[in-house]
Amino acid sequence: MSTAIAEAVADGRLPGRVWLYANYHCNLVCTYCLTDSSPKSPRRDLAADRMVDLAVQARALGFTDLGVTGGEPFLRPDMVDVLLAMAEQLPTVVLSNATLFHGDRLTRVETLAGQPVTIQVSLDYADAEDNDAQRGDDNHATVVAAISRLVERGIRVRVGTTLDPDAEVSDDEQARLCALHRSLGVADEDHVVRPIVRRGRADVADVGVRATVADLPPELTVTADGAWWSPFGPTIRDGVPETDMLITRTTDPLVTPATALLRLIDGRPPGDDAHLGIR
Amino acid sequence: MGWMSGISVGDRPVTLITAAEAPLLARPYFADGDPGPIIAALAQVPEMLEVVAPFLGVVLGPSALDLRTKEVVILRTSARASCRYCVEAHTVVALDSGLSDDEVRALRGELGVEDAFPAEADRAVIAWCDALVGTGSVDAACRDRLRQGRPDHVVVELTLLATTTLLLNRFCTALELPTAPDVLARLAAAGMAS
Repeated sequence: MSTAIAEAVADGRLPGRVWLYANYHCNLVCTYCLTDSSPKSPRRDLAADRMVDLAVQARALGFTDLGVTGGEPFLRPDMVDVLLAMAEQLPTVVLSNATLFHGDRLTRVETLAGQPVTIQVSLDYADAEDNDAQRGDDNHATVVAAISRLVERGIRVRVGTTLDPDAEVSDDEQARLCALHRSLGVADEDHVVRPIVRRGRADVADVGVRATVADLPPELTVTADGAWWSPFGPTIRDGVPETDMLITRTTDPLVTPATALLRLIDGRPPGDDAHLGIR
Repeated sequence: MGWMSGISVGDRPVTLITAAEAPLLARPYFADGDPGPIIAALAQVPEMLEVVAPFLGVVLGPSALDLRTKEVVILRTSARASCRYCVEAHTVVALDSGLSDDEVRALRGELGVEDAFPAEADRAVIAWCDALVGTGSVDAACRDRLRQGRPDHVVVELTLLATTTLLLNRFCTALELPTAPDVLARLAAAGMAS
């Protein structure tokens, strides 16, 4: 146990969650994707045993939670097994577009029921037209159906909503989105709303809020290319991971980037912390 | 954005990090402006940069050895190792540290060392550098010349300086680091452009 890391997590200086980028490829091509993911993206996979080992190390260091993101993690055939192994260490949330939960893959995902694994599903608008403009044709209908299937099977689901800060979303539309997720069995505390962050494809598309390390919680994030300040850090521009939020290239042992992150946090001036509500 | 920002990745083995792209641990090295291509390359691996940069600063910076002797070692080692970047950069530094044009040309291999450096003390240091760049094996005569009148700590520092320079020579040559425009202008003005 690294006392310094555990103490920093316990006293709130260091967020307790460690994020792992399972992969970078995706079956969708969302307009605001930070990681410029698409079916043609290089995978940049973290190997399954590597992800589980990082989970073991995170727990030993005193972290309290794990997150898995991508890309679309469930494009990996081994994802459910990886999540089950990670969840033996710490509660785990996995971000997904929820467009793949049918057939054999749904059968595999069913084994997550009753486990400390939460699937955070992206759904941006109550209206299909608005949602699908950002996330692709038929996305709204596919995701709504998938949420129902997951909830019915006893899997905890969160809904992640990502909004263009320049788009005028009426109170009525927001209320209808909340009514929709409630009707699907997702409680208000499991609904996360955040602005599009202007990085990766979003920056190319000229949408979203600019975010620096001062705007983002310092959540240790590991990818195949290194360790970053935040899951919003290892974005892709011109096919290359952006380095402005890179902490270290070394990710094993995990204590190396964790200690470096703690040094960066402790070096920040008072009051210089997250305020954009990006999570 | 410094002069390196116009250099595309396709032109050289690695991307040189700019201030806007600087990783968090590397940002202090960009705070006072362009840190040069060695730091810009090392910034690709920030946890290495924050250890290597201070090491290089101590070995190559002000120390118990006088600046002139240090530049003799750095320029001679770089020339024997055929490091274009280090020769160009340290030709300018050597001139600024008080070495004459002929001494600099001799260290670069363009004039005879015997002609430019009459003092045995200088010649012994140059012979030591030449031996280290070669096989690394130093014969007894070369060693005895260097040790003549020099305490152990000076021998150690001269050796560390030469071998660290050799490390940088290989690094800069392999990564094809570019010479800054102001250095190239100085070299042209001095008639020492490559």
